[in-house]
Amino acid sequence: MLRLIGRRLLLMVPTLILASVLIFALAEVLPGDVGRSILGIYATQEQVDFLNHQLGADRPLVVRWASWAGNFVTGDWGESPVQKIPVRPTVMKALGNSLVLAGFALVIIVPLSILLGVFAGLRRDSLLDRGITISTLSMTVIPEFVSGVVLLYVFAVWLKWLPVTALPPEGAPFYERFYYLILPAIPLMFLELGYIARMARVGTVQVLAMPYIRTAVLKGLPRRRVIFGHVLRNAMVPTVTVIGSQVGWLIGGLAVIETLFVYPGIGKLMVDAALAHDLPMLEASVLMVAIIYMLANLLADIVVALLNPRIRMGG
Amino acid sequence: MDEPRSPFGPDPDLAEEASWVDADPEMLELGAEAVADREAEVLQADGAAALEQRRQRRYLVRALLRSPTFMTGAVIVLFWVFMALFSTYITQSPTAQDAAAALKPPSAAHLFGTDELGRDVLARTMAGARTVLIIAPLSTMLALLWGSMIGLVAGFYRGYTDEVMMRLIDVLLALPIIITSILVLSLLGTGLTIIIITIGALFTPVVSRTVRSAVIGEREREYVMAARLRGERSPFVMAREILPNITQPLIVEATIRLGYAVFTAATLSFLGFGLGPPSPDWGLTISTERIYLQIAPWTVLFAAFALATLVVGVNLITDGLSRVFSK
Repeated sequence: MLRLIGRRLLLMVPTLILASVLIFALAEVLPGDVGRSILGIYATQEQVDFLNHQLGADRPLVVRWASWAGNFVTGDWGESPVQKIPVRPTVMKALGNSLVLAGFALVIIVPLSILLGVFAGLRRDSLLDRGITISTLSMTVIPEFVSGVVLLYVFAVWLKWLPVTALPPEGAPFYERFYYLILPAIPLMFLELGYIARMARVGTVQVLAMPYIRTAVLKGLPRRRVIFGHVLRNAMVPTVTVIGSQVGWLIGGLAVIETLFVYPGIGKLMVDAALAHDLPMLEASVLMVAIIYMLANLLADIVVALLNPRIRMGG
Repeated sequence: MDEPRSPFGPDPDLAEEASWVDADPEMLELGAEAVADREAEVLQADGAAALEQRRQRRYLVRALLRSPTFMTGAVIVLFWVFMALFSTYITQSPTAQDAAAALKPPSAAHLFGTDELGRDVLARTMAGARTVLIIAPLSTMLALLWGSMIGLVAGFYRGYTDEVMMRLIDVLLALPIIITSILVLSLLGTGLTIIIITIGALFTPVVSRTVRSAVIGEREREYVMAARLRGERSPFVMAREILPNITQPLIVEATIRLGYAVFTAATLSFLGFGLGPPSPDWGLTISTERIYLQIAPWTVLFAAFALATLVVGVNLITDGLSRVFSK
């Protein structure tokens, strides 16, 4: 098991290096003149050259990439030329905010959608099954900013049950935060709901067809123990896999939801940095997201391995 | 890290039959016919084979027409296609401003009300389908084209070629698609062409994986071997023998990607990386009008509902298709 994790962590290194090259290439090569894109078209050529020299943008590409990547690893992420603030604390704070939001959404939605999926799977092809499947999947395919504005209208503007903003006023107690996060978290939950419920349903249907379930039922195990002891455990494998593979869409969803609710997370930071051509901020936040993305996938694989002895031993 | 199938996509109950192209006796027949087709004059079997093929196609079309899921989706999507093409002849102008009638609630003059510039929301909602319906199908076609080429070559040659191509493809997936497109679009600038190419390129890896696995299922089959023994060149075998036999998974993949492309295109324009004003695009409308949500919700909600119906419509088509194909 440890060897499996170690190997996967090692495999992440080349992928990360390639991803950093990709990010760097996109950010620094495509726009051409870095100094010019920061100073705008009205700056003189001397000013542009001077800034390029100051930023080190006149050095060869490989050297620039190496120094950027090296600085990233050692924790020196530079300063945002647009906002004049250091990059690392800003990115880290935004990341923390996003993790709170995403974590809150996941903690609620994972058990709930698994429950729905198993429920639908146990009553396969019934009206309930069709109902759960169609409604959860519709929620999932609708873009999160669409469900976001509709929810915002219904619960914040019309019914006035929930606040319009995503952050509590300064000095509010910590738990108050979650009250403000309910509305932004729901579209994120929708995003995951359909896939997780679907995989849980499929897993349940497949497991129910297994001979050992018939054995368990025939030897007189109570239904509850069959479901919790056998069905649920084995139906979890495809479910966890799909949760891991959904992290990418969750991150995209964060960018959208944080923009919609003006929540200072890493998604909004990235979008704002991209719109403002704030390269150090953009590069650092995207690379950070890449790392999180890969770690999340690794975590999903580990959980799958823990649930499935065949992978655990063979790994 | 495999991306899951479309939510409405093929029922993973049948995941075991993911090689359904393989297992399906009808497809076996089709495969046999591909060989028969080539030697038609000699065997005089082409008449019967073509007849059989046409019968197959008719059967599929009839099954689709009978599928309520597929038909609902098709009606919704066709409605928006029609509106994208002809809405300007039916409704008022989507860009004509009338400062005197700004932010008016729905009325007889403006069924969906007006926005902050006095523009007719009904006209804008109907015309809003246009950009999404240009971007999504074109980028899907690009992704299918590139993905099929890569998938065919990788799956057909296997070995080193396969390994290298798939590793390179993996790098494209190292970042979430939305993030990569934001990165690209913020640096290259936005415009229809760039958006289409970006989404097409980012959807290519997934398509190529689907095609590759379908090709791997086909390459050991008799008709492929027969073609090789006849001395056909590899590009011919790939394009004329294997490709026609993987059309079903390709069509399903195309509709799945189409759904994601609509989603992605709308999201990008919401985030500010699509077309600028005064385009009536739904994502853009929701993003710019949302500040009026409290005083004039109609400026936002109609665009939101419109986008929701289109996305659900495309996914219903996917669902219907994959159900009929996997029967």
